[in-house]
Amino acid sequence: MYAIFTENLTKKYGDKVVLKKVNLKIEQGEFYVLMGPNGSGKTTLASIIASVKLPTTGKVEIFGVEPEKAKKEIGYVPQENFSSPILTGKENLLYFAGLLGYSKSEAEKIVGKLLKKVGLLEDANKRVSNYSGGMRKRLEVATILFPYLKLLILDEPTTGLDPSARRKFLGMIQELRDEKTTILLITHIGADAELASRVGLIDEGEIIAEDDPENLKKASGLENVINIETPIKNEKVATVLGAFSERRKVLETEEGYRVFTKDVEEATPKIVRSLDAIGCKATKIETVAPSLEDVFFKLTEKVVSEVG
Amino acid sequence: MGQIIVTWSKTIKEFLRQRTVLFWTIGWPILWVLIGSFSFTGDAPAEIVSHTRGAIAISMMVFALMTAGMANLPGNIAQDRERGLLTKLMSMPISPWRDFCGRILALLVFSSLSAVSVVAVGYVCGARFFFTMNQFGYALGFILLIFIASTGIGMLIGTFIKHVHGAIMTGVGLTVVSAAISGVMTPYAYLPLVLQHFAKIYPISSANSMITYLLVGKDYAGYNPLSTSQITLTIIISLSVFAVGLITYSKFCWRKE
Repeated sequence: MYAIFTENLTKKYGDKVVLKKVNLKIEQGEFYVLMGPNGSGKTTLASIIASVKLPTTGKVEIFGVEPEKAKKEIGYVPQENFSSPILTGKENLLYFAGLLGYSKSEAEKIVGKLLKKVGLLEDANKRVSNYSGGMRKRLEVATILFPYLKLLILDEPTTGLDPSARRKFLGMIQELRDEKTTILLITHIGADAELASRVGLIDEGEIIAEDDPENLKKASGLENVINIETPIKNEKVATVLGAFSERRKVLETEEGYRVFTKDVEEATPKIVRSLDAIGCKATKIETVAPSLEDVFFKLTEKVVSEVG
Repeated sequence: MGQIIVTWSKTIKEFLRQRTVLFWTIGWPILWVLIGSFSFTGDAPAEIVSHTRGAIAISMMVFALMTAGMANLPGNIAQDRERGLLTKLMSMPISPWRDFCGRILALLVFSSLSAVSVVAVGYVCGARFFFTMNQFGYALGFILLIFIASTGIGMLIGTFIKHVHGAIMTGVGLTVVSAAISGVMTPYAYLPLVLQHFAKIYPISSANSMITYLLVGKDYAGYNPLSTSQITLTIIISLSVFAVGLITYSKFCWRKE
């Protein structure tokens, strides 16, 4: 029996098709990451699995039953910060414990353990409005760590977190993975997906590739990527770099660009010269292993994570 | 802990810890009790000052109940929806009806607190009420009708106005305008004929007149609102507004698309 099983799952809003016959099979105990750009349908898919939305057509089963009947086993953290900023961290968790039917004394005990687990015990009595973004997200993840929840769905939990908070947060997810809970994590950040046992790449409502991270990289045919950090990012620079990249496409990143080429050694000095010629000095140029974002770009020619 | 109790506890804490909610629901009506008691009764004969202050205190108590139901409740609903809490709740094995009961109980406690505070300040400022225990019992019933009607309107606003500020501003706007044109904040006798008709149909102003009639005197109500037909009409409209609000809230706020 699969933890999550979907067959020809389709979701339409009026004429707009958001999910197109999605077939997903996630084993119990798997850590599955669904990665795709904004608007690709990943949040809609997660909310159908979490029993918040209904599919237009197709079949969805959670542990062999329809999502509505499996609610007791599903823990869902939506994208938004749903905790009440006016209440303390502890009060927020006591509220959810009460909703799940715990008695007051049971709730007190379990909430103490959960706060410790997410590293918020010392800040338990502070109002959530005084929490940082990372603390608030950890608190919200604590709402799905109540013992009998077997399927955890996290929608973009690291969005907006600084690198340090993201590392802490992903470490916590890693611990959950060790406990053999089924985890479905939705993200548009490639680094988050590296932890997964399996990654599904979703684009325009379709799962376009699915495998473990290493196999996805191998299957993409990408060997090496030249990562270039530049002080200038514009169309002219992208065009110059495109001349060295497969299908003349370069991936824009926070720091600069990534160029996909088979012959790194030959291309690198030419890239430096070409950039110099247009007055753009690269601050750093290095050869790196391909990331899942590169794989997504290779497959779709789309950027999975918009550069701010 | 039951779902109703934890929802009650969460909602009442949210009401009591938000300064703006406290100010607009309790502070603002109290301010008007103070202003009204000392500005609008200055030249009145001494024997009617306490009655006038009593009528002002009742009007402001009704205004506080309206603000609680028509602005705070939709603000609370819209806030929970906007920050994703309703989405989270929909994924959990819980009942929308219990969520509703928890919210309404919290609102009832908060409304009672604001009503008592406003009347207490009015009393300290010289407002006096004259009633038998029977009349007091009826007055409590009419206060409950105001709560019910305001809550029904509040649920409608909270269901259809998606954003927090929009929901609150709509609630406040509707509270102020409807109170002004229906005789809650202006004497019934000074209203044009068409608005006098409206004051009798609008359940909140009708109940306001009934409470004033019972606790202060018929001269301050402007008409006799305690006829069987008027009471029946007020009860039916209050309950209908509440029922429509409740059905709308449970159907649309918790609807799976």
